[in-house]
Amino acid sequence: MIKFDEVTKQFPLGNTALEKISFTVTDNEFIFLVGPSGAGKTTILKLILREYHPTSGSILVNDLDICAKNFHDLLNLRRSIGIVFQDFKILFDKDVFENIALSLNVIEVHRLEVKKQVKQALELVSLSKKEHVFPAQLSAGELQRVAIARAIIGDRTILLADEPTGNLDPKTSWEIMKIFKKLEGKRTIIIATHNTDIVNSMQKRVLVMKDGNLVKDNRKGGYEL
Amino acid sequence: MKELLTSLRRTPYQTLSAFLVLFFTLFLSVALFVSLSFLYGILGYIETRPQVTVYFQTKTSEADIFKIRDEIDKSGKVLSMRYISKDEAFKIYKNLNKDNPLLLEMVSADILPPSLEIFAKKPIYLPEIAEFLKKQSGVDEVQFQKDIVDQLLTLTSILRKVTFVFFAFLILMSIVVLTTTTMFKVALKKDEIELLKLLGATNFYIKKPFLFESIFLGFSASTLSFCILIGLLFYNSPFLGSYLRGIPALALNLNFYQLIVWPINWIFLAVTFTLSSLFGMGIAAVASLFATDKYLKETS
Repeated sequence: MIKFDEVTKQFPLGNTALEKISFTVTDNEFIFLVGPSGAGKTTILKLILREYHPTSGSILVNDLDICAKNFHDLLNLRRSIGIVFQDFKILFDKDVFENIALSLNVIEVHRLEVKKQVKQALELVSLSKKEHVFPAQLSAGELQRVAIARAIIGDRTILLADEPTGNLDPKTSWEIMKIFKKLEGKRTIIIATHNTDIVNSMQKRVLVMKDGNLVKDNRKGGYEL
Repeated sequence: MKELLTSLRRTPYQTLSAFLVLFFTLFLSVALFVSLSFLYGILGYIETRPQVTVYFQTKTSEADIFKIRDEIDKSGKVLSMRYISKDEAFKIYKNLNKDNPLLLEMVSADILPPSLEIFAKKPIYLPEIAEFLKKQSGVDEVQFQKDIVDQLLTLTSILRKVTFVFFAFLILMSIVVLTTTTMFKVALKKDEIELLKLLGATNFYIKKPFLFESIFLGFSASTLSFCILIGLLFYNSPFLGSYLRGIPALALNLNFYQLIVWPINWIFLAVTFTLSSLFGMGIAAVASLFATDKYLKETS
């Protein structure tokens, strides 16, 4: 479960990214975080990852108060979260297998277990035949699949995606969304996007952001810009 | 290992500068270590030699020599004494020149002087003993080694101080250059480091590749510097052999162990290599940890 309670985030220069935001995401829920650029979508994701600290309010992730002064479990928090970026953040000096394995290597999983789990993840994102291909030889859609595989591998119970289709054409965007759909119900998924077609077609809960405020929480899905 | 070599290949100039600085530092360090070991060995050897040697005229009788010996003994300033007769002197001479038959033919026991080797209880008694001996009849020459020991002690002390200052400078220079090159490498990998942090990597996991790379460079540089220096030592060993002729062994007296420095032996080589490798890997590791720590603190 992820719970934001009256969370405000102000940056040192004074601009307010979020203002008294409150919402709860239950376990294995699939939600879209929508709104125009600068609405505060990425800030919410970065707060969940504890890349940012809120100016006020509290955030609970898997029952842990990650804003608490005595919070010393950053590693375990991050090890429970997978993240997909708009610009993929794929390492170009490592092949597909090595990129995905990174998620498990950081938590020192045994080599054989890594091999097994990476193969399963590759099957899920339909990249089994490209295990040892280097990123430079992959299309944008394939790179995003690698990023998704890296984000879902291991015991990561939360999947955050920041504009995962932002750099992709409509056809590829749909293929990527189909992968997210396959993962539904197995982990909590939060996708930040401003792609109205996808959000309206998927019919999932939508949190609408505008100027740092949560303006709508539509549990039945769908929204308009 | 594959990742390590790839990383070294991808930053050739930083790798080369780090390697050259380490090589320079380690080469000089090993050279200083070997020189100091030899110097301490020579000092130790000289300190074990008689502190005063008195050579008598060949015509001086043993009875007169023993009379002088007993008088010195009575003074209570002598730790021990050893009388070397003409025959014993000839035996020593033969042993020293066993490879040179011409020199052996030219000398007989008659022309070699008998001598007394005297060890004083305290160095301050040496001038007094030497003065006493010079006044005795039948004495040909008094060799007084205090000056040599003092000169060697002064030289060793100066060399030790110079080495300390030099070492400090070399270490500082190496750490600064290695830290800078590691920082370059860290900057090149900043996206990867950010990703690793978001995936939940520990700081040590992030530091590990940089640390291994530095240790590898330290080990390679120390191995190369050791090989070159030992090559030079072996190449010059005939010269050293003739210079140190008559000295059976030079040893470095550590509190717990006596390390034989000369003749060159595998234990001395192993100790030199181990110390040089540990030193090289140590400074490289410190520089790497310093650079990565700094980056991780700044970005946390």
